[in-house]
Formats: sequence, C-alpha cells, structure tokens
Amino acid sequence: MKLSKKVVLLGHFGVGKTSLFRRFVDNEFSEDYKVTLGVQIKKKVIEMPDGRELSMIIWDTEGHADIEDTRKSYLLGSNAFIYVFDLTRIDTYKNINQDLAYLAKNHPKVKIKVIGNKLDLVNEKETLKIFKEQDIAFDCLTSAKTNKNVQDFFLDLAKEITV
Amino acid sequence: MEEQDKLKILKELLLTEEKEYADSIAKKVEELSKIVHQKQELSHKVDPIIDDKLEEFVAEIPKTLGPTITQALKEEIKNSQDAVVEALFPIIGKMIKKYIAHEMKLLSENINRKTRQAFSFKNWFKRTKARARGISDGDLAITDYAKPRLIQMFVIEKDSGLLITDYSPLSDNTVDKDMIAGMLTAIKSFVEDAFQGGNQNLETIEYELYTIHVQNFYSYYIAAVISGAYNMMFKEVLEDQIIDFAQHHISKRDIENSELFTKKLKKHFEDEIV
Repeated sequence: MKLSKKVVLLGHFGVGKTSLFRRFVDNEFSEDYKVTLGVQIKKKVIEMPDGRELSMIIWDTEGHADIEDTRKSYLLGSNAFIYVFDLTRIDTYKNINQDLAYLAKNHPKVKIKVIGNKLDLVNEKETLKIFKEQDIAFDCLTSAKTNKNVQDFFLDLAKEITV
Repeated sequence: MEEQDKLKILKELLLTEEKEYADSIAKKVEELSKIVHQKQELSHKVDPIIDDKLEEFVAEIPKTLGPTITQALKEEIKNSQDAVVEALFPIIGKMIKKYIAHEMKLLSENINRKTRQAFSFKNWFKRTKARARGISDGDLAITDYAKPRLIQMFVIEKDSGLLITDYSPLSDNTVDKDMIAGMLTAIKSFVEDAFQGGNQNLETIEYELYTIHVQNFYSYYIAAVISGAYNMMFKEVLEDQIIDFAQHHISKRDIENSELFTKKLKKHFEDEIV
C-alpha cells in the first residue's frame, strides 16, 4: 500500500533549507545562493526498516524573517515541519521560541523538528554551550555542505512520522 | 609679590574666558578623535548614513544602471549569436526531442486506437451517418483528431497535496506523479490565496496543447489532463462524469486504499468521455 508523507522546510531566508533539501534528495551541494521563490517540491523514496516504502514529499518554502508570513496553505496537511536556522546568524534564531510556539498552536498535530545548519562554519562545542546558555532547543546540528547529520536526521524523521 | 606672579594673576584675570573656550575645543577634539579612532564608535555614527545611501543606490539601480545593462546585454547577445546558439542548443535540442517523442507516442497510440475502431460496428455506423450528412471521411478524421481526450487523471488530497491515486489511458508514463500532485496543489493554493477569492477555486490551467481541468471536493480534488480542443461541451460532460464518479464510487475506504481506487477510476474513465 502506498505510503506518502508531507514534510515542509521552514525558516529565514539563507539558512540553507534548499541546500539541505538538495543534499538529502539528490546528494548535491552548491555554493551558489539562489533565493527560493514560492515553493519547490521534491520526492525521496525511503525504504523503511519494516520493508515498507515511504514517499517523503518535501516542500521547500521560500524564507521569511517572520514565520507568520509563510503562506499558510503550504503548511496544511503536513506530517512534519523542519524549522531550519543558521548557526552563524543570530537573527535566524533569536525568535525561535515564539516561532515554534506559533507553529505548535496553529498545527498541533504536526511534528516539529529544529535544525541548526552550517555546522561546518562554527565550533560545535562552543555552539552547544552558547545554545544551552540561551535556552535554545534544537533536534540536530547539520551541515548541508559536508553532509554531516543530514541523512540520519531525515531517516530518523521518516521513522517518527510513520509510527 | 614678584613680577612674575603678578603677571600670572593678570593673565588669569584677562584670559579666563578664552581659556574656557580653548578647553571646550580641546574636549571636543578629544571626543571626535575618540570616535574616529574607535571603530565601533565610528561605525555607530556612520553606518546609518551608509545604509541610507546604499538603500538609495539600490533603489536607483533600475533607473541609473538598468538601461546600460540592458543595452550591454542586447549588444553582447547580438555580437555573440553563435555562443548563444551553442549554449541554448542542447537545451532546445532536448526539448524538441522530448516533444517529438511525446507526440510520436500519442500518434502511435492514436493509430492503434483508430485501427481498432476502424473495423468496429460503431465506427461503420458513424461513417455512414457522416456520409449521409455530406461529411467526408477526411473531415471526419480531422474532427476526430482534434477531439478532447483524457491524458491523465489525478485524485489529490486537498490540503497536503499528496496523491491519492491516478489513472492514465496511455500505456507508459514517465512523469513523477507525486511531484506533479504537489506542484499542482502549490499552484492552486498560491492562486487561491493570492487573489483572496474567499471560497473561489482554480478551475483550469492551460499549457500549450493541454488543459488541466480541476474539480474540487471537500477533502480532495481531481485534476484531469486533457489534450485537444477543451470546449464547454466537453467540460460539462467531464464535470458530470467526475461528479457522478465522486458521488457513487468514492468512499472513505477508497481514499485509504489507492489500489482499489485506481481500479475504480480506470473502470469509470477508460471509455472516451464524449
């Protein structure tokens, strides 16, 4: 039986949503930054440990400084949101708690995951310390450039949304 | 009191005002020097001015540099036609190849269908009827070719854009249906949001030789890709058929079981619509 799930990437512009999306689906990375307009959609078929095949339909939305500016219809019917922020830019995570509260309030049934991207540009230990001090919770630190933690993150998410 | 002390007192009496003035200037110079020499202080003062100027500059680019850039591009393209052709050729070549392959496939399927139909009683009756009306076989064939035809049908979950099922009378389909379903939903959502039409829905999308007929239901919508002349009569018949299918053949169980749903969809739409 066909198993499809919708996952939406959210966050400020330039945080690396498209890079994560391309890294996971096509295993590609480009240094060229092209702004995403509207939305782009890709599919990744994942073989689950129980033998089922999951079609993960990933919506890569355009970035917004304010989460409330994201087109609401793009979020409907989602199984998971991935909130991405840039570890090198404080403005991309300074309102993270409010943004997550907004998502949780408006989409209570949707699983929300938080990714700090561009791990290759920071010192991991120091970053972890800073985030702990500032009480910023996240699920995973990734680097779309080096592919660090990207595949594992999406595969874990696939398991969580198919339970 | 000595002469020098007297002079000092006199100086103090006569030059107090000037001294204060000189002190205030010295203080201001010191503050300015601090601002200029300390990067942060200077940046605090100068950044807003630079930001304003930059904003002005960016806003003026279309006016100031736009015509020059356009002109330069035009000239560059004109002078490097070979390079442009070389760059575009692989892309255009691929597009043409793809288009021809697609049209050949349609033609081949059409010929097969016509061959099958040519010897049918239905066709013999149709030709006899047309001849009686004075319509030649050629005209009949042309009318037949331009007739709207269902190429593919998608049943898509309304909110998520996830594909529930699809059906195509064509034997081979290379398109990624899940992505088409997602993109159709994104386009539909965008149009419906952007024009703030309340409960209004996108009903058709046209591209080149195809029309996508969109029909909305409560939790899903049906998108039918049509080739040929999509006219009002065809639209009405198609709408009726889709409504009939939705009313009598779709249940919640079907939506959850795509295999069963596909069979039903095929059974209902495999015959020609008009």
